Amino acid sequence: MQRPAHVLPGLAAAALLAAAAAAAGAAPASLPGGEFTPVVAPGPDQKTVRLAPFALDVTPVTNGDYLAFVTLHPEWRRGSVPSLKADSQYLAHWQGPLTPGEGARAEQPVTHVSWFAARAYCAAHAGRLPTWYEWEYAAAADETRGDARADPAFRERILAWYAVPSGRPLPAVGQGPANVYGLRDLHGLVWEWVEDFGGLMVSGDSRNQGDPDKLQFCGAGALAAESREDYPVLMRMALLSSLEASYTTANLGFRCAYGDPP
Amino acid sequence: MNRPLVALCALAALAALPLAAPAVEPAHHHEHAAPAAGPLPGGSLYQLGATLDGSGGPLPLASLRGAPVVVTMFYSSCTTVCPMLTLAMQRTALALSEPERAQVRFLMVSLDAARDTPARLVEFAQSHHLAAPAFVVAHASAEDVRTIAAALGIRYRQLPDGSFSHSSVITLLDRDGVAVARTQALSAEDPAFVERVRAQLK
Repeated sequence: MQRPAHVLPGLAAAALLAAAAAAAGAAPASLPGGEFTPVVAPGPDQKTVRLAPFALDVTPVTNGDYLAFVTLHPEWRRGSVPSLKADSQYLAHWQGPLTPGEGARAEQPVTHVSWFAARAYCAAHAGRLPTWYEWEYAAAADETRGDARADPAFRERILAWYAVPSGRPLPAVGQGPANVYGLRDLHGLVWEWVEDFGGLMVSGDSRNQGDPDKLQFCGAGALAAESREDYPVLMRMALLSSLEASYTTANLGFRCAYGDPP
Repeated sequence: MNRPLVALCALAALAALPLAAPAVEPAHHHEHAAPAAGPLPGGSLYQLGATLDGSGGPLPLASLRGAPVVVTMFYSSCTTVCPMLTLAMQRTALALSEPERAQVRFLMVSLDAARDTPARLVEFAQSHHLAAPAFVVAHASAEDVRTIAAALGIRYRQLPDGSFSHSSVITLLDRDGVAVARTQALSAEDPAFVERVRAQLK
């Protein structure tokens, strides 16, 4: 299938700079946006979405970053967050509310954070969570191409990570290769919250299904997937759709986006 | 179309595997209403600082504390599932006696922050006989819509034509705003749900 190329000539150079900055723990990467074909069509008669330019953190937010956040924002310390906004496992792997400890090193991605918490963190940094389409678009790139999804080797590499059992300590952020935008760890480290995690499996066709009692998660998920072989993306969507906003888990982190929300 | 659907549901189950099972809040089952005073329970919807805008002007969501609330989300231009959702809300209200009904609030928050202006919702409430004070048909900002939906576990997505695809859930909140029951039965009465509402009044 023909997909538009996203990478402008000047951008490759910009991405290299951003990658260098990321190594020093700095500026987010700029993404040009444009016309993007998500794996699941946005609507019955629409195959593409138009994304405005936006910026995205180069790596997921780390325990170190998150410690700085809760230090400044006591209401987000473990033990202070109402259960509506984070379940009982919130930051459960930290030794104490202000001491990540051995089990949560500063350079590891922060996990055990809820959607509410992730949003609050990003808002405190003049950002927001990326939308699913922004995330999918960013994650469609590999080291040299803006859209590597049609390449079976690219998908295989991602699937290989899904096959790795969880439960071992998470690696530090920034170890994965930088993609063409300079972004790292979109695949292979943790799952990441997106702003609209709850709406992903809600099909554009569900309005036309006869029995409204069936309009539930899976029942509404009659997805018009553009490429059903794209398991990595579909798995990611399925996982995100199974979450509730207060859930926290050991493999779920986030990164922030910057720019006007779509 | 059935095959990919089933496959995807299976995928959903698979994809959830690598994660630790999310800790689920123990359900709050006190059927006896607590007085609306003291500290707000952690699981209360009123932990959100959201503001509603209904027929009576801006109204903090938390000001509903004190009454059991039957809440759903919809949008007024919806012609498919929302009319049934509206009917289900009315049916629940009518299943109660008048004195019972007077103690309950029926809250309908629009998902369509852009087009469902407070004025439009007032009109909608009038044309559908959703009378105040029992019914609160309210606008909320896009930000508040997102957090209220998230807290209620309501899935929704705006489609390219501006309409919304959304799950149809009616939730019962106790007097402190803690969710105590849910129903997705729209086409018929749900007597068990009505009993849960009634139990909040004892």
